[in-house]
Amino acid sequence: MSSFDPQELNLQELVLRMFVRLRRSRFKLGVGEYMAALKAVEAGFGDDLDDLEDTLKLLWCGSLGEQSQFEPIWKSILAQVRAHKPRKPPFPGTLKVQPLPSPQELLDDRWEPEEMLPPLEKRVEQRPEPRDSLRMQAPNLLKPKMSSPPVQAFNLIIEEPWTLQAYYPISRRSLMYAWQNLRRPIADGPLNVLDINATIQQVSRQGLYISPVYARRERNDARLLLLVDQNGSMTPFHQFTRNLVETAREESSLDPENVGTFYFQNVPTSNVYMDTYLTEVVPLTAALSSCDAATSILIVSDAGAARGKRTRGRIRATARFLYQLKRYTSLIAWLNPMPKFRWVGSSAEIIANSVSMFQTDNEGLSNAIDVVRGQPLKHSYSSSL
Amino acid sequence: MTKAQRLIFEGKPDLRPKQPHKDSPKKPEPYVVSDLLKKAVNLAIFLRRPLLLEGDAGCGKTRLAYAVAYELGLPLYRWDVRSSTKAQDGLYEYDAILRLHDVEVQRKQGDQPNQSKAPSKNDEDDNDDIPPENRNPGNPKHYRKFGPLGKAFRLKDRPAVVLIDEIDKADLDFPNDLLTVLDEPWEFTIRETGEKVTADPEHKPIVIITSNKEKGNLPAPFLRRCLYRYLDFPDDPNELTSIVERHYEIRGETPPPKKLVTESVNKFLTERRERSWFKPPGTSEFLDWLKALHEFEDKPYSATQLKQDISLPYPELLFKRQDDWRNLAQAS
Repeated sequence: MSSFDPQELNLQELVLRMFVRLRRSRFKLGVGEYMAALKAVEAGFGDDLDDLEDTLKLLWCGSLGEQSQFEPIWKSILAQVRAHKPRKPPFPGTLKVQPLPSPQELLDDRWEPEEMLPPLEKRVEQRPEPRDSLRMQAPNLLKPKMSSPPVQAFNLIIEEPWTLQAYYPISRRSLMYAWQNLRRPIADGPLNVLDINATIQQVSRQGLYISPVYARRERNDARLLLLVDQNGSMTPFHQFTRNLVETAREESSLDPENVGTFYFQNVPTSNVYMDTYLTEVVPLTAALSSCDAATSILIVSDAGAARGKRTRGRIRATARFLYQLKRYTSLIAWLNPMPKFRWVGSSAEIIANSVSMFQTDNEGLSNAIDVVRGQPLKHSYSSSL
Repeated sequence: MTKAQRLIFEGKPDLRPKQPHKDSPKKPEPYVVSDLLKKAVNLAIFLRRPLLLEGDAGCGKTRLAYAVAYELGLPLYRWDVRSSTKAQDGLYEYDAILRLHDVEVQRKQGDQPNQSKAPSKNDEDDNDDIPPENRNPGNPKHYRKFGPLGKAFRLKDRPAVVLIDEIDKADLDFPNDLLTVLDEPWEFTIRETGEKVTADPEHKPIVIITSNKEKGNLPAPFLRRCLYRYLDFPDDPNELTSIVERHYEIRGETPPPKKLVTESVNKFLTERRERSWFKPPGTSEFLDWLKALHEFEDKPYSATQLKQDISLPYPELLFKRQDDWRNLAQAS
């Protein structure tokens, strides 16, 4: 630590600021990681600034992407500490003084690192999605902004002009996890699973060993029908819907034959499509022909929330379609890629009252899967307002 | 712990202690460690957090664990992860069927020869490999077999290096299951025998994990615990040359002529940079290729010839995919 000018920089403070700042940028760090960093610094793993930067990167970044996110933040924190002008209170606790940043501050914050970087580079800092509590506490603050899409809803980070980070409402891994919960195990497979406990029990009961005891292999009998809105306002989510379909088919515990996928644009009419380019037409009745009361149906569509319009035609057509669907099964859920606060005032708000609609995040997806596997929550859109 | 007592990895195989553990690698590892990587290893040793290495295939992720274990004289337990691997496999396996079989055999024989033979003192420890005649079905401990992590947890006099290779191949829950073991209080229970295995607090295992990112990212809680280092391919000619030198020096083989080394390094790096690869060759492919140039024919491949060659000699060592191969055919 001798190579530091103590008057210029305080190591502990630097680590703490970095930690708080990275956590706000959605780095998955806990107190354990902070303590580990302090311990490492104490043991001499951060003897000069480059060394310290590398140590923190090692400890706190879990991928190359995070490492490249780390660098500009490091530079800006370093500049702040050097300049002796704390822009942010270093402790999360002191935030209490000012619980809600004003919109102006949010704006300032977003563009804050710009001055540290070369003029070409622009960067939008990641912000947590506006929480429900925010809306509760300051409804007047946010309502006027409803119509314009707030930038912070998309966790877009533009590091440098040539690297764009992909936006996934739910990561592929989380999708795979979520599908694991869609299970209806039926032991009707071949009789070939050795049941060790039963074998030993049988031997001890009979007093001699005759043959092993086998159990039937279990398989997943859950059936899933995905109805995916394509094109138009759903275009930004194509990558996500593709992931959703792929993981359901290939990386879930579902039998691929039990996963049906059909596409539509805006509202399913009497026809739906087999492919993402909406060329192979199938009558809706044919698509639903394999449906019975045990089939789970998941609809993925923004229901007009992306454009924020309320269209009577769309609401009617959707209601008609849902009515038709409910004659087959009641295991229906709707996944809306737009966050909940954007449904207000659009067709989605009306539609959400007649079907279990969820916003697309980890919680929303697992709620939707709960619904389609027949364990509905006591939940409706109107009761959550 | 003061800095002097701490285990420190220097990247110098000569520092190996006089009496290494019996499970320590026997052969020195020709490995050139960059300063950044050395630091990552030392930080992982110091904090006893797993070190996660990512990078292209063939850039030395796996070999690092051997180099560390050799230099520090520590035992190395390697755990190759497959798609069916469960986290418990690394801790222990319990052979209930063998025990059942032994009961039957004993009953057939009519007497109980095992009990007299089996010394009761040794039952508690060191019974990882019990000869069949000493197994006693009355003692469940004779039927448990420790996995790589289990062995590392049982060491009391020194830490072990555990290499968990290609963790990304495993099932979805595998990394998270692993975390519960690789964290305080560093212990696990063997259900069948009721034993509790706890790592010595002074000698917790040093865990090195490699991943190829074949199946997407690892879960966030797991990444949070790990130290992360991405291994780049050594793009610098000097670095690659020093890898070659180290490789032949430690293996004790006659190195190829200097001119051939320089020329092949240049050729290889140019090819690697200028061609659009589907699967770029790594360091290990380069070393194989150099060996072929050097020794496959009676005389080493001539360096001047290599410089003039338009088509590469021994392309089958570098081009591992049909599309890469086709690109090569089109180019020449």
